[in-house]
Amino acid sequence: MTLDDLTRTSGEWLRGAGPESDIVMCSRIRLARNLADFPFTNRASRNEKAGIESQVKSAVDAAGLDVAYFDVNGMNNLDRQFLVERQIISRELAGGEGPRGVAVTPKENISIMVNEEDHLRIQYMLSGFRLNEVWDEITALDDQLEDDIAYAYSSSLGYLTACPTNVGTGIRVGVMLHLPGIVANKQIDKVFRALQKINLAVRGLYGEGSQAFGDFYQISNQQTLGKSEEEIIKILTDVVPQVLQFERSARQDLVTGRRQHLHDQVSRAYGVLKTAQTISSEETMLLLSSVRMGINLGLIDDLSISTVNELFIQTQPAFLQKLRGSELGVEERNVARASYLRSRLANGRAVEDE
Amino acid sequence: MTCQRCQDEAVVHLTELVDGRRKETHLCVACARASGLSLPDAPPDFGLDAVLQDLIKKHVGELVGELAESTCPDCRLRYMDFRTGGRLGCPHDYQVFRKGLLPMLQRFHGATRHVGKRARARPGASLRLRLRSQLRQAVAREDYEEAARLRDQIRLKDQHA
Ligand SMILES: [Zn+2]
Ligand SMILES: [Zn+2]
Repeated sequence: MTLDDLTRTSGEWLRGAGPESDIVMCSRIRLARNLADFPFTNRASRNEKAGIESQVKSAVDAAGLDVAYFDVNGMNNLDRQFLVERQIISRELAGGEGPRGVAVTPKENISIMVNEEDHLRIQYMLSGFRLNEVWDEITALDDQLEDDIAYAYSSSLGYLTACPTNVGTGIRVGVMLHLPGIVANKQIDKVFRALQKINLAVRGLYGEGSQAFGDFYQISNQQTLGKSEEEIIKILTDVVPQVLQFERSARQDLVTGRRQHLHDQVSRAYGVLKTAQTISSEETMLLLSSVRMGINLGLIDDLSISTVNELFIQTQPAFLQKLRGSELGVEERNVARASYLRSRLANGRAVEDE
Repeated sequence: MTCQRCQDEAVVHLTELVDGRRKETHLCVACARASGLSLPDAPPDFGLDAVLQDLIKKHVGELVGELAESTCPDCRLRYMDFRTGGRLGCPHDYQVFRKGLLPMLQRFHGATRHVGKRARARPGASLRLRLRSQLRQAVAREDYEEAARLRDQIRLKDQHA
């Protein structure tokens, strides 16, 4: 598998399948791990980073996973950005230095970042609300890797990580939610505050920093010490349904209270996406968000959720440039984006694909 | 100003407009990083050492002298470096800086003891890290015979890795 192959496929987590997938885009768990024998990445020399990379690569090989390893160090900026857009690597790994890379499966459900802030960042993602299933998979993978890697671990503090905010279980449990209803009724700040009170973090899924685009938000745990992985997962599996209920009733209010307005908004969004000649990334996100909600509410019936999910990724700058095979300026990207949207939505996969 | 998440000293101050209202956020380095904010790599230089000393004094009181001067023998990270950058240098730092870290872990996680998945026991797993620091010390005192011996031992270990 090469990077270019990825422009022709899409990740399992975009399938729009699984429980609650009208609101829950995907479930993701990340484990932070380090090798006992080496300094953490930020203090490791070039040679040591190369040593860490080769040990991890051989452990991944031994685990018999069907993965491709991408050497991020030897990669150009466009390709790095492309992997960030696909949620395969973090911005931090893309912008780091020295030997580093990522092992990723063709379905993109597993990615193992090497020499990010920690030596290993093992990530498992599935579409829909399936945290327990994700946990079963990732802990088994962790066990396999441990056959060949001695992890930095202390019996009192657990898995030792470069930042003390990850020590203990090293686990980050996250659920990506599409919340256009709660955004529309301006209750999103209230939801944030309630979640922060129980030590859950909320952040935007796409775009720079913590700003949310397209009404996607990720809810995840912050604390990693003093609770078991199962207990941490349980907090999320208890709380997320309440947010889902909140979103559903917000959407219902929109439907009953402002049906005509809502239908108009959704149809216009779909219309613009199908016909625009030039369109920015921000506007695309906003319109796709409306269209996604419109499909879930039965206002659009000739487009599948998985196509819309894919378009969130495929209208990002690096994807468009890789598709064209050349670097594009902002204006050229806006034109390329509009053209790509027109072609995907004209002969876009119909609903029966799902 | 204290961090609104963990009562640590806040170093990141954000003002944003939410629905037309000013919203202020004050966070320490660890919480800012944990909430996904990207921080500049080099902190602005305004006599930072003095400021930091002051912060640490307020923060860890009696431990200041001992802690502020402590350095990890394996990765040579100073406790001060950690307080500035928020990152540890090697697994042993959890032991070396334990006194400073435990209160911080308690504030952030509400706990200081791991429960949950256990790693397989591997006695001597971090031997290479020790050999490396011994090698550095041997070179520093110009004991090249010992240095060569340690280098061979590390090479041997790398080959078996
Ligand atoms: Zn804090
Ligand atoms: Zn150290």
